[in-house]
Amino acid sequence: MIQNLPWLFLLLPLVVAAIDWLCFSKCPRTAAGLSTLSAIATFALCVAYLNGWQTGTPDIYTWLPTATEGMTSLSMGLVTDALAMRMMLVVTGIGALVHIFSLGYMKGDSSNLSRYFAGLSIFMFSMSTIVLADNLAMTFIGWEMVGFSSYLLIGHWFHKDSAADAAKKAFITNRVGDFGFLIGILLTLAVFGTITFAEMGGKAAGIAPALLTATVICLFCGAVGKSAQFPLHVWLPDAMEGPTPVSALIHAATMVAAGVYMLVRLQVSMGTEAFTETACITIASVGAITAVLAALMAMQQDDIKRVLAYSTLSQLGYMVMAVGLLAGEAAMFHLYTHAWFKALLFLGAGAIIVCCHHEQDIWKMGGLAKLMPLTVLCFLMGTFALIAIPGFSGFFSKEAILHAALETCPVFFWIGAGVAALTTFYMTRLCLVAFCGQARDHGAAEAKEAGPTMLLPLLALGVMAIISGYGFIADFLVPYTGFEAHGFELGLPFYVSMGSLALGIIAALLVYGCGKRTTDPLAGNCLSTALRKRLYIDTIYDKGLIGGIQEYGAQIIEFADAALIRGVIVQGFAWLTAKFGMLLSWIQNGSLRGYALVAGIGIVIFVFILAFTIPTL
Amino acid sequence: MESAISSILFYVFAAAAVLCAFGVVAFRNPVSSAMNMALCFGFTAAVYFGMGAQFLGIVQLIVYAGAILVLFLFIIMMLDIKAEEHARKSFPLACIAVIIAGIFAGFVTKVAISLPGATVGECPAIVLCESIGELAPGTIAQKAETEGFAPYGSAMPELSPAAAAKALGADEATAAAATAFPDTKLLGQSLFTKYNIPFVILSFALLAGTVGAVALGRKLRKD
Amino acid sequence: MTPLAHYLIFSGILFSIGLAGVIIRKNIIVVFMCLEMMLSAANISLVAFSRAQGVNGIPMYDAQVLALFIVAIAAAEVAIGLALIVAMFRARKSVESSALNTLKD
Repeated sequence: MIQNLPWLFLLLPLVVAAIDWLCFSKCPRTAAGLSTLSAIATFALCVAYLNGWQTGTPDIYTWLPTATEGMTSLSMGLVTDALAMRMMLVVTGIGALVHIFSLGYMKGDSSNLSRYFAGLSIFMFSMSTIVLADNLAMTFIGWEMVGFSSYLLIGHWFHKDSAADAAKKAFITNRVGDFGFLIGILLTLAVFGTITFAEMGGKAAGIAPALLTATVICLFCGAVGKSAQFPLHVWLPDAMEGPTPVSALIHAATMVAAGVYMLVRLQVSMGTEAFTETACITIASVGAITAVLAALMAMQQDDIKRVLAYSTLSQLGYMVMAVGLLAGEAAMFHLYTHAWFKALLFLGAGAIIVCCHHEQDIWKMGGLAKLMPLTVLCFLMGTFALIAIPGFSGFFSKEAILHAALETCPVFFWIGAGVAALTTFYMTRLCLVAFCGQARDHGAAEAKEAGPTMLLPLLALGVMAIISGYGFIADFLVPYTGFEAHGFELGLPFYVSMGSLALGIIAALLVYGCGKRTTDPLAGNCLSTALRKRLYIDTIYDKGLIGGIQEYGAQIIEFADAALIRGVIVQGFAWLTAKFGMLLSWIQNGSLRGYALVAGIGIVIFVFILAFTIPTL
Repeated sequence: MESAISSILFYVFAAAAVLCAFGVVAFRNPVSSAMNMALCFGFTAAVYFGMGAQFLGIVQLIVYAGAILVLFLFIIMMLDIKAEEHARKSFPLACIAVIIAGIFAGFVTKVAISLPGATVGECPAIVLCESIGELAPGTIAQKAETEGFAPYGSAMPELSPAAAAKALGADEATAAAATAFPDTKLLGQSLFTKYNIPFVILSFALLAGTVGAVALGRKLRKD
Repeated sequence: MTPLAHYLIFSGILFSIGLAGVIIRKNIIVVFMCLEMMLSAANISLVAFSRAQGVNGIPMYDAQVLALFIVAIAAAEVAIGLALIVAMFRARKSVESSALNTLKD
């Protein structure tokens, strides 16, 4: 009984979500409290579990038993290795902080709070399912469930068209990746003969490389969708339409990292030999392209949340690249540090947005450093971690990735270094514009420090953003079995990253000064417009793909519907039946003599057959 | 001589019957049609008499020409039916009808003249019977030879009052002395012995017909 | 004496005339008469066959019995048919077969 404690990680949020939704939809405070309590309780359980309160292997439940021999039956089980449990720690920890932050952030919101917190709880449940799943089928269930809860939470303010559209966009874009993921799962079942992680090990050796490549790339498709890699990255910036805590939890720290987690999980269980060279290059290239493109696009965004969203994309690209370079350890390290500091950045941005009366444009802020120093300080901690100033957590993990890249494939190392410079540039730009100088709008001018429910999580996360990279903490918390933080060492990676850091800061300082400017000096030329317009990728999708499908696909379907189905099948048969009926009704003309005539003809034919043809047979 | 006269009489009566039948179809006035039909039935009855089927001839006269025809006339009078309007547009229909009738008559003629012995060739009906095993091949011809009845093509066999009397149970002398053919007796014997049960069932059919006619002829109630 | 074939031809002609009459005539009573004529024509061939199939100078009376039955059935048929015609006349005020086309509409 007691060994089934990890199941509680799943069941607690699920039950709470159901209760919130079904019982407390009319009393949001109870729902919010219940949901927050469950998140904290899960976090506490997780901490307890990691601190030696390990209860043994949880039971495995057979979900779909197989009647025939030789078929794999689907089971539901949990993995409780370090990778999963420490990942759970990150998820539940950030989850709990976000729940607390949400209490403050959503206070004045008129929308249905029960729905919001139920959505958060569902998300916690589904994310835990992904993390703890012991087979790909269960992962897929969680995969779809996080997509669903993400849809619910992005579209929380569904009365706004943009939010509803963004929710739809996220959901539909994810479908594309999930389709590949599903194929990948089936391929895995066919190739490895199992989808349980524990049974996959060592089976990759005897399998044709092409088959392995196909399997891994199909599974990678799922990560491309969920972790918003190029070319399916378009949904993540739009997902910022959701409430900011949701962005912090789902679209920065945990859900989008699920793709990376899943890839690392596969790498660990299948063994690195399953990741063929082609697959690795594909994965690393996709990650690198995403990192570069997203960093470029982030340079010209004005919305504080969008800058962070693109930076998330860029960092996810880093992680995926690391996975492709077979540096799962480095990827998970970066995932772990990134989760803390990116959650911090988003929650800080959320606090700033709330305090500026829901103003998100950085050009309408300014001078916030004086008005809300604590919040800004926390935000700066996150920024420093993100741009990898030595001593902050991001520095260690980024260094680990660059190390791995330099060892495996120097091209990716230089790409990583370039992205680091870009990251430094846009984050410095953001901080300079938003925090320095004078307030440029009355919303920013009236800003004051955020309330305690928002500040507490910020402070907690700020501490984590600083210290989580050091070996004495990371060794215990980084979700990777047998993780050991590499000590800080001088060398080419260090010099290059210092160079790019300096380059980025100096460039940003030169361009943006100390917050004196009121408009972006880089804006106006065609390059910046292109970056602002997200390199027209969304436009191409909208016009080319969606428009094309809707225009021409609709025409084809319209043709098929009108001409074939309505014209030929429905109306055609009706017409034929009617005409046939007319013909028959012409015969049924009610004229007795006509009938008699036909009867006479019949008699003649009958006599003819009887008397003249049969004997000659 | 006698047979020649009866033969001639048959042709005369047959021709008259056919003429009257034409009249039935041709006259537009239903009363004329009915009268023509009475004549036609009368001539048919004469043909029956010529074949020695006196009882059927009488029945034909009484039932058809008498009862049925009178019924027809009665209805025509009662309903006061006028002559048919001349319908021009039914001319094509009439043509087709005549053609069909002609073809049918042709078929019958063809079958009749190809009866065994009538002309060259064999009766298709007999060939059919032989082919499906109802009759052994050549049975009819053999029967005609051994049992002494004429092939179909030749003249009909003479009626034999003596054989009939014998069949009715008379002794040799009486049978030999018989001169009139006891048609009605023989028919009655067949009807009330071999076909007794069908005859009874037929009476039920007649009863049902009567009831039906009464039911149909009733005035419909207004409710 | 006359051969069987001639009787049969006579019967066939009578039947054909009846058939043509059934098709051509509009007056339903005359149509009915033609039907009777066709039955009668069938009787003629039955009697002719009965005579031709006779053994030792005695006709086959089976056929004549059948002819008798036909006469009886014809009588019943006429009774019912004429009752129907009367009913039809009551309903339609006509005995033309063209009046019997209610089903068409």
